[in-house]
Amino acid sequence: MKRAQVLLVSFLLAVTSLGALAPSVMAYDAAAWTNSDSFTTRCLGFSDSYPSQLNSLARTQLAALGYSPIGGAIGPSFTRTAFLNAVWPDWAVYVHSHGDNYWAASGRPNIDSAFLQDPGSTSCSSFSRDVVRSSAVKAAAWTAPYNLIVMSTCYLGSSSSTMPGAFNVEKVKNSTENEFYLGYVYSTYDSSMLRFEKAFWSYLSGGSRTVSQAFAYASGIGGYSAPDASDPFQANWWGNPNYNGRPG
Amino acid sequence: MTTNGAAKAAIAVTIVVGGLAASGGAIAAAGSSRSAALQSNRVAAMVTGRSAVSEMAIYADDRPDVFARAASMRDALGFAKGATRKGRHVADGLQNSTYDEVAEVDAAGQPLSLAQFDGSGRLLAAVRFDAPSRNGSGISGDEAVKTAQRGLTSAGYAPNGRARAQANEAAGGWDVHWDRAQGGFRVRGDELSVHVWQDGRIQSVARVEHELAAAPARTIAQDQARSVVTTRCGSWFQGNDSGFSVQSMELEWVGPNAAFDPAKMDLATEPYRLAWVANVKPSGRAADSLRLVTLYVDAADGSVIGGDVVE
Repeated sequence: MKRAQVLLVSFLLAVTSLGALAPSVMAYDAAAWTNSDSFTTRCLGFSDSYPSQLNSLARTQLAALGYSPIGGAIGPSFTRTAFLNAVWPDWAVYVHSHGDNYWAASGRPNIDSAFLQDPGSTSCSSFSRDVVRSSAVKAAAWTAPYNLIVMSTCYLGSSSSTMPGAFNVEKVKNSTENEFYLGYVYSTYDSSMLRFEKAFWSYLSGGSRTVSQAFAYASGIGGYSAPDASDPFQANWWGNPNYNGRPG
Repeated sequence: MTTNGAAKAAIAVTIVVGGLAASGGAIAAAGSSRSAALQSNRVAAMVTGRSAVSEMAIYADDRPDVFARAASMRDALGFAKGATRKGRHVADGLQNSTYDEVAEVDAAGQPLSLAQFDGSGRLLAAVRFDAPSRNGSGISGDEAVKTAQRGLTSAGYAPNGRARAQANEAAGGWDVHWDRAQGGFRVRGDELSVHVWQDGRIQSVARVEHELAAAPARTIAQDQARSVVTTRCGSWFQGNDSGFSVQSMELEWVGPNAAFDPAKMDLATEPYRLAWVANVKPSGRAADSLRLVTLYVDAADGSVIGGDVVE
Protein backbone atom coordinates (compact mmCIF):
# COMPACT_ATOMS: atom_id res chain seq x y z
CA MET A 1 0.00 0.00 0.00
CA LYS A 2 2.78 2.41 0.94
CA ARG A 3 4.61 1.62 -2.29
CA ALA A 4 1.46 2.38 -4.19
CA GLN A 5 1.17 5.71 -2.43
CA VAL A 6 4.77 6.62 -3.28
CA LEU A 7 4.14 5.71 -6.88
CA LEU A 8 0.99 7.75 -6.80
CA VAL A 9 2.80 10.80 -5.43
CA SER A 10 5.45 10.45 -8.13
CA PHE A 11 2.76 10.10 -10.69
CA LEU A 12 0.88 13.13 -9.42
CA LEU A 13 4.07 15.20 -9.54
CA ALA A 14 4.63 14.11 -13.12
CA VAL A 15 1.06 14.87 -14.05
CA THR A 16 1.21 18.21 -12.26
CA SER A 17 4.22 19.13 -14.34
CA LEU A 18 2.48 18.07 -17.49
CA GLY A 19 -0.66 19.78 -16.33
CA ALA A 20 1.22 23.05 -16.25
CA LEU A 21 1.53 22.75 -20.00
CA ALA A 22 -2.23 22.70 -20.38
CA PRO A 23 -3.60 24.01 -17.11
CA SER A 24 -7.03 24.89 -18.38
CA VAL A 25 -7.85 21.53 -19.87
CA MET A 26 -9.25 18.91 -17.51
CA ALA A 27 -11.35 15.88 -18.32
CA TYR A 28 -14.12 15.18 -15.85
CA ASP A 29 -15.95 12.25 -17.34
CA ALA A 30 -19.66 11.88 -16.94
CA ALA A 31 -22.00 9.28 -18.36
CA ALA A 32 -25.71 9.21 -19.12
CA TRP A 33 -27.08 5.69 -19.55
CA THR A 34 -30.61 5.05 -20.71
CA ASN A 35 -32.49 1.84 -21.24
CA SER A 36 -34.60 2.46 -24.32
CA ASP A 37 -35.06 -0.91 -26.03
CA SER A 38 -37.30 -2.14 -23.22
CA PHE A 39 -39.70 0.63 -24.11
CA THR A 40 -40.00 0.20 -27.85
CA THR A 41 -42.76 -1.06 -30.09
CA ARG A 42 -40.94 -4.39 -30.35
CA CYS A 43 -41.32 -5.03 -26.61
CA LEU A 44 -44.37 -3.02 -25.66
CA GLY A 45 -46.32 -2.50 -28.81
CA PHE A 46 -45.75 1.23 -28.58
CA SER A 47 -42.72 3.45 -28.45
CA ASP A 48 -42.28 5.24 -25.14
CA SER A 49 -40.95 8.73 -25.88
CA TYR A 50 -39.74 9.59 -22.38
CA PRO A 51 -36.38 7.73 -22.20
CA SER A 52 -34.84 9.66 -25.09
CA GLN A 53 -36.12 12.99 -23.75
CA LEU A 54 -34.66 12.31 -20.32
CA ASN A 55 -31.32 11.15 -21.73
CA SER A 56 -30.99 14.19 -24.00
CA LEU A 57 -31.73 16.52 -21.14
CA ALA A 58 -29.20 14.89 -18.83
CA ARG A 59 -26.43 14.85 -21.40
CA THR A 60 -26.90 18.50 -22.26
CA GLN A 61 -27.08 19.64 -18.67
CA LEU A 62 -24.11 17.58 -17.47
CA ALA A 63 -22.08 19.20 -20.23
CA ALA A 64 -23.37 22.63 -19.22
CA LEU A 65 -22.12 21.98 -15.68
CA GLY A 66 -18.64 21.38 -17.06
CA TYR A 67 -18.43 17.60 -17.26
CA SER A 68 -16.61 16.38 -20.32
CA PRO A 69 -16.54 14.08 -22.14
CA ILE A 70 -20.10 12.83 -21.68
CA GLY A 71 -20.11 9.08 -22.20
CA GLY A 72 -22.68 6.43 -21.60
CA ALA A 73 -25.24 5.24 -24.08
CA ILE A 74 -28.88 5.10 -24.92
CA GLY A 75 -30.01 1.74 -26.24
CA PRO A 76 -28.12 -1.50 -26.84
CA SER A 77 -24.70 -0.16 -25.83
CA PHE A 78 -26.00 0.32 -22.29
CA THR A 79 -24.90 -3.09 -21.08
CA ARG A 80 -23.93 -4.18 -17.60
CA THR A 81 -20.37 -4.78 -18.80
CA ALA A 82 -20.10 -1.40 -20.49
CA PHE A 83 -21.48 0.36 -17.45
CA LEU A 84 -19.22 -1.40 -14.95
CA ASN A 85 -16.16 -0.97 -17.15
CA ALA A 86 -16.80 2.72 -17.54
CA VAL A 87 -18.04 3.78 -14.13
CA TRP A 88 -14.77 4.16 -12.27
CA PRO A 89 -13.38 7.28 -14.00
CA ASP A 90 -16.75 9.00 -14.11
CA TRP A 91 -17.44 11.99 -11.87
CA ALA A 92 -21.13 12.16 -12.71
CA VAL A 93 -23.46 9.29 -13.58
CA TYR A 94 -27.05 9.44 -14.83
CA VAL A 95 -29.18 6.31 -15.27
CA HIS A 96 -32.72 6.13 -16.60
CA SER A 97 -34.22 2.66 -16.45
CA HIS A 98 -36.39 0.31 -14.45
CA GLY A 99 -35.08 0.27 -10.88
CA ASP A 100 -35.99 -1.32 -7.57
CA ASN A 101 -34.69 -2.43 -4.20
CA TYR A 102 -34.32 -6.17 -4.66
CA TRP A 103 -33.43 -8.76 -2.05
CA ALA A 104 -29.73 -9.35 -1.87
CA ALA A 105 -28.21 -12.72 -2.72
CA SER A 106 -27.91 -13.28 1.03
CA GLY A 107 -31.69 -13.05 1.27
CA ARG A 108 -34.16 -11.06 3.29
CA PRO A 109 -33.98 -8.58 4.91
CA ASN A 110 -30.83 -7.53 3.08
CA ILE A 111 -31.33 -5.34 0.02
CA ASP A 112 -29.14 -5.00 -3.04
CA SER A 113 -30.73 -2.25 -5.13
CA ALA A 114 -30.46 -2.44 -8.89
CA PHE A 115 -31.43 -1.04 -12.25
CA LEU A 116 -31.77 -2.89 -15.54
CA GLN A 117 -29.40 -2.61 -18.46
CA ASP A 118 -30.82 -2.13 -21.94
CA PRO A 119 -31.94 -5.58 -23.18
CA GLY A 120 -30.49 -5.01 -26.64
CA SER A 121 -32.06 -4.71 -30.03
CA THR A 122 -33.34 -8.28 -30.24
CA SER A 123 -34.53 -8.93 -26.67
CA CYS A 124 -36.89 -7.45 -24.12
CA SER A 125 -36.17 -6.92 -20.45
CA SER A 126 -35.40 -9.89 -18.27
CA PHE A 127 -34.56 -9.26 -14.65
CA SER A 128 -32.25 -12.25 -14.35
CA ARG A 129 -30.27 -11.28 -17.41
CA ASP A 130 -30.34 -7.49 -17.24
CA VAL A 131 -29.99 -6.61 -13.57
CA VAL A 132 -27.13 -4.30 -12.57
CA ARG A 133 -26.89 -4.56 -8.81
CA SER A 134 -25.50 -1.93 -6.48
CA SER A 135 -23.03 -4.51 -5.16
CA ALA A 136 -21.58 -4.87 -8.65
CA VAL A 137 -21.43 -1.10 -9.06
CA LYS A 138 -19.70 -0.83 -5.71
CA ALA A 139 -17.12 -3.41 -6.73
CA ALA A 140 -16.39 -1.44 -9.90
CA ALA A 141 -16.43 1.98 -8.26
CA TRP A 142 -14.23 0.79 -5.39
CA THR A 143 -13.60 3.87 -3.21
CA ALA A 144 -13.68 6.42 -6.02
CA PRO A 145 -15.42 9.71 -5.29
CA TYR A 146 -18.39 10.80 -7.38
CA ASN A 147 -19.81 14.29 -7.70
CA LEU A 148 -23.29 13.91 -9.08
CA ILE A 149 -25.37 10.75 -9.31
CA VAL A 150 -28.90 10.80 -10.72
CA MET A 151 -30.90 7.57 -10.62
CA SER A 152 -33.87 8.36 -12.84
CA THR A 153 -35.70 5.18 -11.88
CA CYS A 154 -38.35 4.10 -9.44
CA TYR A 155 -37.43 3.43 -5.81
CA LEU A 156 -33.68 4.10 -5.79
CA GLY A 157 -34.21 7.25 -3.70
CA SER A 158 -36.04 5.40 -0.95
CA SER A 159 -34.53 5.04 2.49
CA SER A 160 -33.83 1.36 1.85
CA SER A 161 -31.88 1.96 -1.36
CA THR A 162 -28.30 0.68 -1.36
CA MET A 163 -27.42 2.49 -4.58
CA PRO A 164 -25.97 5.65 -2.93
CA GLY A 165 -23.37 3.53 -1.14
CA ALA A 166 -22.35 1.96 -4.43
CA PHE A 167 -21.12 5.40 -5.44
CA ASN A 168 -19.62 6.04 -2.00
CA VAL A 169 -22.29 8.58 -1.09
CA GLU A 170 -23.31 8.26 2.54
CA LYS A 171 -27.06 8.61 3.11
CA VAL A 172 -26.80 11.87 5.03
CA LYS A 173 -27.85 15.38 4.12
CA ASN A 174 -24.85 17.12 5.67
CA SER A 175 -21.87 15.68 3.83
CA THR A 176 -18.95 18.04 3.28
CA GLU A 177 -17.68 16.21 0.18
CA ASN A 178 -18.54 17.43 -3.30
CA GLU A 179 -21.24 14.82 -3.77
CA PHE A 180 -24.95 14.65 -4.45
CA TYR A 181 -27.15 11.62 -5.09
CA LEU A 182 -30.69 12.05 -6.44
CA GLY A 183 -33.36 9.39 -6.79
CA TYR A 184 -37.10 8.82 -6.57
CA VAL A 185 -38.72 7.23 -3.55
CA TYR A 186 -41.73 5.42 -5.00
CA SER A 187 -43.13 4.13 -8.26
CA THR A 188 -42.96 7.22 -10.47
CA TYR A 189 -44.52 8.31 -13.73
CA ASP A 190 -42.04 9.16 -16.47
CA SER A 191 -43.83 12.47 -17.02
CA SER A 192 -43.19 13.38 -13.40
CA MET A 193 -39.52 12.47 -13.70
CA LEU A 194 -39.29 14.66 -16.80
CA ARG A 195 -41.06 17.57 -15.10
CA PHE A 196 -38.82 17.25 -12.04
CA GLU A 197 -35.59 16.88 -13.98
CA LYS A 198 -36.38 19.82 -16.26
CA ALA A 199 -36.93 22.04 -13.23
CA PHE A 200 -33.88 20.62 -11.44
CA TRP A 201 -31.49 21.16 -14.34
CA SER A 202 -33.03 24.52 -15.17
CA TYR A 203 -32.50 25.95 -11.71
CA LEU A 204 -29.02 24.45 -11.42
CA SER A 205 -28.01 26.05 -14.71
CA GLY A 206 -28.75 29.50 -13.36
CA GLY A 207 -25.33 30.25 -11.90
CA SER A 208 -24.48 30.47 -8.23
CA ARG A 209 -26.80 27.75 -6.94
CA THR A 210 -26.34 24.52 -5.06
CA VAL A 211 -27.69 21.17 -6.14
CA SER A 212 -29.78 20.97 -2.99
CA GLN A 213 -31.39 24.30 -3.88
CA ALA A 214 -32.17 22.96 -7.35
CA PHE A 215 -33.67 19.92 -5.68
CA ALA A 216 -35.79 22.07 -3.33
CA TYR A 217 -36.97 24.16 -6.25
CA ALA A 218 -37.90 21.16 -8.39
CA SER A 219 -39.68 19.54 -5.46
CA GLY A 220 -41.50 22.77 -4.68
CA ILE A 221 -43.07 23.52 -8.06
CA GLY A 222 -45.79 20.88 -7.63
CA GLY A 223 -47.92 19.51 -10.42
CA TYR A 224 -46.62 15.95 -10.25
CA SER A 225 -48.97 13.16 -11.18
CA ALA A 226 -48.70 9.92 -9.24
CA PRO A 227 -49.89 6.40 -10.08
CA ASP A 228 -51.89 6.03 -6.87
CA ALA A 229 -52.16 7.23 -3.29
CA SER A 230 -49.59 4.73 -2.07
CA ASP A 231 -47.04 5.98 -4.59
CA PRO A 232 -46.97 9.76 -4.14
CA PHE A 233 -44.41 11.65 -6.14
CA GLN A 234 -41.34 12.14 -3.98
CA ALA A 235 -37.73 12.67 -4.93
CA ASN A 236 -34.93 12.33 -2.42
CA TRP A 237 -31.28 13.25 -2.09
CA TRP A 238 -28.21 12.62 -0.01
CA GLY A 239 -24.91 14.42 -0.02
CA ASN A 240 -23.61 17.91 0.52
CA PRO A 241 -26.23 20.68 0.78
CA ASN A 242 -23.65 23.28 -0.26
CA TYR A 243 -22.24 21.52 -3.31
CA ASN A 244 -22.78 23.35 -6.59
CA GLY A 245 -22.78 20.36 -8.93
CA ARG A 246 -19.65 21.38 -10.82
CA PRO A 247 -17.02 18.71 -11.43
CA GLY A 248 -14.02 18.17 -9.21
CA MET B 1 -9.88 12.52 -0.77
CA THR B 2 -9.05 8.80 -0.79
CA THR B 3 -6.03 7.33 -2.57
CA ASN B 4 -8.47 6.07 -5.16
CA GLY B 5 -9.96 9.54 -5.40
CA ALA B 6 -6.55 11.11 -5.89
CA ALA B 7 -5.81 8.63 -8.65
CA LYS B 8 -9.14 9.47 -10.28
CA ALA B 9 -8.38 13.19 -10.09
CA ALA B 10 -5.00 12.54 -11.64
CA ILE B 11 -6.61 10.60 -14.44
CA ALA B 12 -8.85 13.57 -15.13
CA VAL B 13 -5.63 15.29 -16.19
CA THR B 14 -4.03 12.23 -17.72
CA ILE B 15 -6.83 11.65 -20.17
CA VAL B 16 -6.21 15.07 -21.64
CA VAL B 17 -2.45 15.05 -21.75
CA GLY B 18 -2.68 11.57 -23.28
CA GLY B 19 0.54 10.38 -24.83
CA LEU B 20 2.59 13.02 -23.06
CA ALA B 21 2.03 11.12 -19.85
CA ALA B 22 4.35 8.25 -20.71
CA SER B 23 6.30 8.95 -17.52
CA GLY B 24 3.10 8.45 -15.55
CA GLY B 25 3.54 4.67 -15.61
CA ALA B 26 0.88 2.10 -14.99
CA ILE B 27 -1.77 4.42 -13.61
CA ALA B 28 -1.59 6.67 -16.63
CA ALA B 29 -1.90 3.66 -18.88
CA ALA B 30 -4.91 2.50 -16.94
CA GLY B 31 -6.46 5.90 -17.34
CA SER B 32 -5.90 5.90 -21.07
CA SER B 33 -7.40 2.48 -21.55
CA ARG B 34 -10.44 3.40 -19.50
CA SER B 35 -10.82 6.49 -21.58
CA ALA B 36 -10.60 4.46 -24.76
CA ALA B 37 -13.23 2.06 -23.47
CA LEU B 38 -15.48 4.95 -22.70
CA GLN B 39 -14.90 6.45 -26.09
CA SER B 40 -16.21 3.35 -27.77
CA ASN B 41 -19.44 3.60 -25.84
CA ARG B 42 -19.91 7.26 -26.37
CA VAL B 43 -22.93 8.50 -28.24
CA ALA B 44 -23.48 11.89 -29.76
CA ALA B 45 -25.36 14.50 -27.77
CA MET B 46 -28.95 14.55 -28.92
CA VAL B 47 -29.89 18.05 -27.94
CA THR B 48 -28.30 21.04 -29.55
CA GLY B 49 -27.58 24.22 -27.72
CA ARG B 50 -26.99 24.61 -24.02
CA SER B 51 -29.47 25.08 -21.26
CA ALA B 52 -32.11 26.86 -23.37
CA VAL B 53 -32.76 29.06 -20.36
CA SER B 54 -32.35 32.78 -20.91
CA GLU B 55 -32.81 35.45 -18.30
CA MET B 56 -32.76 39.19 -17.90
CA ALA B 57 -32.22 41.02 -14.62
CA ILE B 58 -35.18 43.00 -13.35
CA TYR B 59 -35.05 45.67 -10.66
CA ALA B 60 -37.48 47.03 -8.10
CA ASP B 61 -37.40 50.45 -9.77
CA ASP B 62 -38.54 48.99 -13.08
CA ARG B 63 -40.87 46.27 -11.82
CA PRO B 64 -42.18 47.42 -8.44
CA ASP B 65 -45.24 45.22 -8.92
CA VAL B 66 -43.18 42.03 -9.06
CA PHE B 67 -41.02 42.99 -6.09
CA ALA B 68 -44.07 43.99 -4.04
CA ARG B 69 -45.78 40.69 -4.78
CA ALA B 70 -42.67 38.79 -3.83
CA ALA B 71 -42.35 40.68 -0.54
CA SER B 72 -45.97 39.97 0.30
CA MET B 73 -45.49 36.30 -0.47
CA ARG B 74 -42.30 36.13 1.59
CA ASP B 75 -44.00 37.68 4.59
CA ALA B 76 -47.19 35.62 4.25
CA LEU B 77 -45.22 32.38 4.21
CA GLY B 78 -42.79 33.38 6.96
CA PHE B 79 -39.69 33.36 4.77
CA ALA B 80 -36.67 35.33 6.00
CA LYS B 81 -35.63 38.66 4.54
CA GLY B 82 -32.31 38.60 2.75
CA ALA B 83 -29.51 41.13 2.73
CA THR B 84 -30.53 41.96 -0.83
CA ARG B 85 -33.12 40.90 -3.39
CA LYS B 86 -32.44 39.84 -6.94
CA GLY B 87 -35.00 39.76 -9.70
CA ARG B 88 -34.93 38.13 -13.09
CA HIS B 89 -37.25 37.58 -16.01
CA VAL B 90 -36.74 34.05 -17.28
CA ALA B 91 -37.64 32.43 -20.58
CA ASP B 92 -37.21 28.82 -19.55
CA GLY B 93 -37.01 26.59 -22.60
CA LEU B 94 -36.53 23.52 -20.43
CA GLN B 95 -39.74 24.01 -18.48
CA ASN B 96 -41.51 25.68 -21.40
CA SER B 97 -42.36 28.56 -19.13
CA THR B 98 -41.82 32.29 -18.80
CA TYR B 99 -41.79 33.86 -15.37
CA ASP B 100 -40.60 36.68 -13.15
CA GLU B 101 -38.60 35.65 -10.11
CA VAL B 102 -37.46 37.50 -7.03
CA ALA B 103 -34.98 35.85 -4.70
CA GLU B 104 -34.05 36.88 -1.19
CA VAL B 105 -30.28 36.66 -1.14
CA ASP B 106 -27.92 36.49 1.83
CA ALA B 107 -24.72 38.48 2.29
CA ALA B 108 -22.73 35.73 0.60
CA GLY B 109 -24.89 35.87 -2.49
CA GLN B 110 -26.76 32.64 -1.83
CA PRO B 111 -30.53 32.56 -2.33
CA LEU B 112 -32.54 32.14 0.85
CA SER B 113 -35.86 31.81 -0.93
CA LEU B 114 -37.55 32.66 -4.19
CA ALA B 115 -40.97 33.51 -5.52
CA GLN B 116 -41.95 33.06 -9.16
CA PHE B 117 -44.93 34.65 -10.90
CA ASP B 118 -46.42 34.21 -14.33
CA GLY B 119 -47.00 37.02 -16.81
CA SER B 120 -50.26 37.99 -15.20
CA GLY B 121 -48.70 38.23 -11.76
CA ARG B 122 -50.10 34.99 -10.38
CA LEU B 123 -47.93 32.80 -8.19
CA LEU B 124 -46.19 29.82 -9.74
CA ALA B 125 -43.97 28.78 -6.86
CA ALA B 126 -42.38 30.04 -3.67
CA VAL B 127 -39.58 28.03 -2.08
CA ARG B 128 -37.25 28.54 0.83
CA PHE B 129 -33.78 26.99 0.78
CA ASP B 130 -32.79 26.69 4.42
CA ALA B 131 -33.35 23.56 6.49
CA PRO B 132 -36.04 22.60 8.98
CA SER B 133 -35.42 22.81 12.68
CA ARG B 134 -34.64 19.49 14.36
CA ASN B 135 -36.58 20.53 17.45
CA GLY B 136 -39.97 19.16 18.31
CA SER B 137 -41.68 15.87 17.62
CA GLY B 138 -43.26 16.93 14.37
CA ILE B 139 -46.73 18.09 13.47
CA SER B 140 -49.68 15.92 12.51
CA GLY B 141 -51.23 15.82 9.07
CA ASP B 142 -54.24 17.78 10.31
CA GLU B 143 -51.98 20.46 11.75
CA ALA B 144 -50.06 20.59 8.47
CA VAL B 145 -53.30 21.15 6.56
CA LYS B 146 -54.25 24.02 8.87
CA THR B 147 -50.81 25.55 8.54
CA ALA B 148 -50.93 25.27 4.76
CA GLN B 149 -54.42 26.75 4.65
CA ARG B 150 -53.38 29.71 6.79
CA GLY B 151 -50.31 30.35 4.66
CA LEU B 152 -52.20 30.20 1.38
CA THR B 153 -54.99 32.42 2.65
CA SER B 154 -52.50 34.93 3.96
CA ALA B 155 -50.81 34.92 0.57
CA GLY B 156 -54.11 35.56 -1.21
CA TYR B 157 -54.66 32.05 -2.57
CA ALA B 158 -57.32 30.63 -0.27
CA PRO B 159 -57.83 27.00 -1.26
CA ASN B 160 -61.17 25.38 -2.01
CA GLY B 161 -62.25 21.83 -1.47
CA ARG B 162 -60.78 19.00 0.51
CA ALA B 163 -57.07 18.82 1.19
CA ARG B 164 -54.93 15.72 0.82
CA ALA B 165 -51.99 15.47 3.25
CA GLN B 166 -49.20 13.01 2.49
CA ALA B 167 -46.20 12.36 4.70
CA ASN B 168 -42.97 13.17 2.92
CA GLU B 169 -40.37 10.47 3.55
CA ALA B 170 -37.59 12.36 1.85
CA ALA B 171 -37.95 15.88 3.20
CA GLY B 172 -39.89 15.17 6.37
CA GLY B 173 -43.15 16.89 7.18
CA TRP B 174 -46.18 16.85 4.92
CA ASP B 175 -47.17 17.60 1.36
CA VAL B 176 -50.63 19.18 1.39
CA HIS B 177 -52.52 19.24 -1.92
CA TRP B 178 -55.72 20.86 -3.10
CA ASP B 179 -56.48 19.32 -6.48
CA ARG B 180 -58.05 21.62 -9.05
CA ALA B 181 -61.38 20.51 -10.47
CA GLN B 182 -63.50 21.90 -13.28
CA GLY B 183 -67.07 20.84 -13.90
CA GLY B 184 -66.72 18.21 -11.23
CA PHE B 185 -63.67 16.57 -12.79
CA ARG B 186 -60.08 16.70 -11.57
CA VAL B 187 -57.56 18.58 -13.69
CA ARG B 188 -54.64 16.16 -13.80
CA GLY B 189 -51.60 17.66 -12.06
CA ASP B 190 -53.20 21.05 -11.43
CA GLU B 191 -53.19 21.99 -7.80
CA LEU B 192 -52.33 24.27 -4.99
CA SER B 193 -49.70 22.46 -2.97
CA VAL B 194 -47.79 23.28 0.16
CA HIS B 195 -44.91 21.46 1.76
CA VAL B 196 -44.95 21.91 5.53
CA TRP B 197 -41.85 20.94 7.43
CA GLN B 198 -42.13 18.83 10.55
CA ASP B 199 -41.30 21.95 12.58
CA GLY B 200 -44.54 23.53 11.33
CA ARG B 201 -43.00 26.04 8.94
CA ILE B 202 -43.93 26.25 5.29
CA GLN B 203 -41.09 25.32 2.93
CA SER B 204 -42.80 25.75 -0.42
CA VAL B 205 -46.02 26.69 -2.13
CA ALA B 206 -46.95 25.90 -5.72
CA ARG B 207 -49.85 26.81 -7.93
CA VAL B 208 -50.21 24.76 -11.10
CA GLU B 209 -53.01 25.65 -13.47
CA HIS B 210 -53.30 24.81 -17.15
CA GLU B 211 -55.55 26.27 -19.79
CA LEU B 212 -58.62 24.14 -20.41
CA ALA B 213 -60.45 23.61 -23.67
CA ALA B 214 -64.22 23.98 -23.76
CA ALA B 215 -66.05 21.08 -22.20
CA PRO B 216 -67.34 18.68 -24.85
CA ALA B 217 -71.04 18.93 -25.71
CA ARG B 218 -71.36 15.20 -25.04
CA THR B 219 -68.97 12.63 -23.72
CA ILE B 220 -68.58 9.02 -24.68
CA ALA B 221 -69.66 6.47 -22.10
CA GLN B 222 -67.18 4.67 -19.90
CA ASP B 223 -67.90 1.37 -21.66
CA GLN B 224 -67.06 2.94 -25.00
CA ALA B 225 -63.82 4.38 -23.61
CA ARG B 226 -62.96 1.04 -22.04
CA SER B 227 -63.44 -0.59 -25.41
CA VAL B 228 -60.95 1.87 -26.94
CA VAL B 229 -58.45 1.06 -24.19
CA THR B 230 -58.95 -2.68 -24.55
CA THR B 231 -58.51 -2.56 -28.29
CA ARG B 232 -55.41 -0.39 -28.05
CA CYS B 233 -53.77 -2.41 -25.29
CA GLY B 234 -54.68 -5.63 -27.04
CA SER B 235 -52.80 -4.47 -30.11
CA TRP B 236 -49.85 -3.46 -27.96
CA PHE B 237 -49.48 -6.35 -25.58
CA GLN B 238 -51.12 -9.49 -26.86
CA GLY B 239 -48.67 -9.94 -29.71
CA ASN B 240 -45.79 -9.63 -27.26
CA ASP B 241 -46.41 -12.53 -24.89
CA SER B 242 -48.07 -10.04 -22.58
CA GLY B 243 -51.45 -9.35 -21.14
CA PHE B 244 -53.10 -6.53 -19.26
CA SER B 245 -55.90 -5.55 -16.94
CA VAL B 246 -57.70 -2.24 -16.77
CA GLN B 247 -57.47 -1.10 -13.17
CA SER B 248 -59.44 2.13 -13.25
CA MET B 249 -61.25 4.55 -15.56
CA GLU B 250 -61.93 8.14 -14.47
CA LEU B 251 -62.91 11.31 -16.27
CA GLU B 252 -60.22 13.96 -15.89
CA TRP B 253 -58.90 17.00 -17.69
CA VAL B 254 -55.54 16.04 -19.24
CA GLY B 255 -52.84 17.54 -21.41
CA PRO B 256 -52.49 15.83 -24.79
CA ASN B 257 -48.90 14.56 -25.06
CA ALA B 258 -46.44 12.47 -27.05
CA ALA B 259 -46.18 9.60 -24.58
CA PHE B 260 -47.01 6.96 -27.19
CA ASP B 261 -46.13 8.93 -30.31
CA PRO B 262 -42.64 10.46 -30.43
CA ALA B 263 -43.61 12.26 -33.65
CA LYS B 264 -45.72 14.62 -31.54
CA MET B 265 -42.87 15.68 -29.25
CA ASP B 266 -42.25 19.00 -30.97
CA LEU B 267 -45.86 20.03 -31.23
CA ALA B 268 -47.03 23.07 -29.30
CA THR B 269 -48.66 22.54 -25.94
CA GLU B 270 -52.42 22.23 -26.27
CA PRO B 271 -55.13 23.17 -23.77
CA TYR B 272 -56.20 20.36 -21.49
CA ARG B 273 -59.13 18.26 -22.67
CA LEU B 274 -61.64 16.16 -20.85
CA ALA B 275 -60.68 12.50 -21.19
CA TRP B 276 -61.23 9.08 -19.77
CA VAL B 277 -58.04 8.24 -17.93
CA ALA B 278 -57.38 4.50 -17.82
CA ASN B 279 -54.76 2.86 -15.63
CA VAL B 280 -53.66 -0.40 -17.19
CA LYS B 281 -51.50 -3.00 -15.48
CA PRO B 282 -49.38 -5.03 -17.89
CA SER B 283 -48.67 -8.71 -17.26
CA GLY B 284 -46.36 -11.24 -18.84
CA ARG B 285 -43.28 -10.01 -20.66
CA ALA B 286 -44.31 -6.34 -20.73
CA ALA B 287 -44.45 -6.36 -16.93
CA ASP B 288 -40.67 -6.84 -16.85
CA SER B 289 -40.38 -3.31 -18.23
CA LEU B 290 -43.58 -1.55 -17.30
CA ARG B 291 -45.35 -1.27 -13.98
CA LEU B 292 -48.27 0.78 -15.27
CA VAL B 293 -49.54 2.39 -18.46
CA THR B 294 -52.02 5.25 -18.33
CA LEU B 295 -54.02 6.15 -21.43
CA TYR B 296 -55.95 9.35 -22.08
CA VAL B 297 -59.03 8.70 -24.21
CA ASP B 298 -60.62 11.91 -25.47
CA ALA B 299 -64.06 12.08 -23.89
CA ALA B 300 -65.52 13.72 -26.98
CA ASP B 301 -64.29 11.53 -29.83
CA GLY B 302 -62.67 8.47 -28.26
CA SER B 303 -59.21 9.07 -29.68
CA VAL B 304 -56.11 8.30 -27.60
CA ILE B 305 -54.51 11.70 -27.02
CA GLY B 306 -51.62 10.70 -24.78
CA GLY B 307 -50.84 9.09 -21.49
CA ASP B 308 -48.05 8.14 -19.17
CA VAL B 309 -45.91 5.19 -18.12
CA VAL B 310 -44.32 3.87 -14.96
CA GLU B 311 -41.23 1.90 -15.92
